[in-house]
Amino acid sequence: MREMFEHRAGRIYLSMLLLSIIGMIGVIFSGVLEQKVLVFGFITLPLLVGIVFVLVWLAAYLVYFFKFWPYR
Amino acid sequence: MAVVSLLLFGFIIVGMAAYGYKISAKTAEDYMLGGRSIGVIVMFFFVLFAVSSSWTFYGFPGMLYLHGPGYVFFIWGSVAGFAALYMFLGPRLWAVSRLNGFLSPVEVLSERYDSKFLRIILSISILAFIIPYVGIQPLGVGVGFEALTGIPAIWGALYTAILLVLIVLLGGMRIVAWVNIFLGLVYVSALLGSLIWVVSAALPEGLTGAAKYLLERNPAQLSAPGPRGMFTPVLMAGTFIVGLIAFSWPHITIGVMTARDKTLFKWFPLLIFLFGGLFFYVIPFLWGSIVAPAVKPGITTVAEADRVVQTIITEHLPPWFGIFVVMGVIAAAVSTAAVQLMTSSVIVARDIVQGVFKPDADDQTITSWARYSVIAIIILSMAVSIWQTQAMALYLTDVSIPGFAQWAPALVGGLLWKRGTKQGAIAGTLAGVLYLVLGLLITVDGRRPLLLNLHPVMPTLLLNTVVYIAVSKLTSPAPAGIQEQFFDEVDAFLRAERSK
Repeated sequence: MREMFEHRAGRIYLSMLLLSIIGMIGVIFSGVLEQKVLVFGFITLPLLVGIVFVLVWLAAYLVYFFKFWPYR
Repeated sequence: MAVVSLLLFGFIIVGMAAYGYKISAKTAEDYMLGGRSIGVIVMFFFVLFAVSSSWTFYGFPGMLYLHGPGYVFFIWGSVAGFAALYMFLGPRLWAVSRLNGFLSPVEVLSERYDSKFLRIILSISILAFIIPYVGIQPLGVGVGFEALTGIPAIWGALYTAILLVLIVLLGGMRIVAWVNIFLGLVYVSALLGSLIWVVSAALPEGLTGAAKYLLERNPAQLSAPGPRGMFTPVLMAGTFIVGLIAFSWPHITIGVMTARDKTLFKWFPLLIFLFGGLFFYVIPFLWGSIVAPAVKPGITTVAEADRVVQTIITEHLPPWFGIFVVMGVIAAAVSTAAVQLMTSSVIVARDIVQGVFKPDADDQTITSWARYSVIAIIILSMAVSIWQTQAMALYLTDVSIPGFAQWAPALVGGLLWKRGTKQGAIAGTLAGVLYLVLGLLITVDGRRPLLLNLHPVMPTLLLNTVVYIAVSKLTSPAPAGIQEQFFDEVDAFLRAERSK
C-alpha cells in the first residue's frame, strides 16, 4: 500500500475504493434497501448493491494492478 | 451406506495427508509454510475454504431465513477485506518473511517492533480467540452426522477431529492447502448441486416464481430491515465494517506467507472478486433468502432455521444425495478447522516454545513441538466447546472476530507505517484486548454498557488504533536498522523480484 501512495494512479485507485465504501454506507442509510424491488425477478436490492460494489472493486483492481502497480 | 461412504471419504483425505508427509522436506519451513511454494489457484481454494466453514451451510442461510437479506453486508465487507489483505498488506508481509526467514506473522511483528513481550501478548490473545473456534467445527459436524446416520453426535465429532489431527499432523501447511481444494470442490458441488436440484424439484417456476411467492406472502423477507425488523441501517453498516476487518483473521493472514512469488498478489484478487464475491457466496444467499423461505415457510426458531437447508434436502432429494451433502458440510468444517489448527500450532511452536523458552531449538525440535501442540489444541478446543456449548455461536461473532481484530493496528502499522513503535503496539494491543474482555464481562440487564451497545469490534478497535497512533507519536521511532530491514529492503526486493 505504501507504493500506492507514492504515485498518482495509486492515489486515485485508493480514493476510488474508499469512495465505494463510503457510497456503500450511504446507500445503506439512504433507506433504498427497504424497497421491495426484484431485478430479473429474483435479485433483491441488498444483493444487487453488493454485486455493484464488487464490480467497482474488480474494475478498479484490473486497471490499476495490470497497468500501474509498481510491483507488477 | 452412509457410514461406509463417510469412511471412504475419510480414507481419501487421510491418504492425501500421508502422501503429503511422504513428499515433504521435513523442515520447519516446509511443515509450517508449505516451503513457501503455494501458487495462486491452490492459495485461492486454501483461503476461500479456510474462511467458508459449515457456517455458510447452517448459520448464514439460517440468519437470512429469519431476518431477510440485510446480513449479506457481512459478505460484501469480507470480500473487500480478503482482497485488501492480498492487495495492500500481502506483498510486504510475504517479502519481509521470505527475506528474513520468518515463519509466523507474530514473529514478523515481534521482530519489527523488537519486542519479545509483544510476541507473548499477541500469541496468547490470538490463541485464546482462535482455539474455541477450532472446536466448534467438529461439534457442528456431529449434529449433521447424527441427523444422517442416527449415530450419536459425539462419534461424528470424533471422526472429524481425527481427520483434522491426521491432516495437520502428517501433511503440514502444504497438504492443508491441497486438501482444501478437494474439500472445497466437494462442498461447492454439494451446495450448488442441492440448490439447482431443489429449485427444479420443488419450485416449478424457478427462482423468479419463489421470489414472486414471497413478494405476495412475506414481502418483508425480500428487503431490509427483514421480517423481524432486525437489520436497521446501523446494524447493516456495522456488519459491513466487521466484514472489512476480515484481513486480520490470523488463519487467513498467515496464508500470504506461503506464497510462491509476488505474481500471486497480482492475480489473487481477481479470483476473490469473480469466484468468491460474484459466485460462491451468492449460493448460500439464494438458499437462505429466497429458496428456503419459499419451499419451507413458517420456521421461527434459530435452531430450526440453521438446519433449514439440510431439512429441505432431506425432504426433497434422494437419500444418497443427502450423504453427499453431509460430506460437503464435513469438508467445509474440516477445511476451516485444519487451517486454524495449523496456524495455532505454528504460533505455539515458533512464537511461544522457540520465541520464549527454547531460542536455540533446531528445525526438528520446532516441527515436533508444532505436531505435539496439534493434539493438545484439538483436545483443549473441543473441551472448551463442549463446556460452553450454548455460548459458542455468540463466541464466534462477539468474541473471536473482535479478538482477531485486536492485532490489526500493530499489523497494519508495522508493515506500512515507519513511525509505528514498540510502545505504541504494546499499549494499543493491551488496551484493545482489555477493553474487549471487560466490555464483554460487564453486563447490565443483558446490555454491555462499556461497549456502548455497539458491536464489540467497533469501540475496541477504535481505542486500540487511537492508542497505537498516539503512543507511537509520543515515543522514539524504531532504529534505522529496523526501518531499513522492514521498509527499504522490502521495497527494493519487491521492485526487483522476478516472478518464477
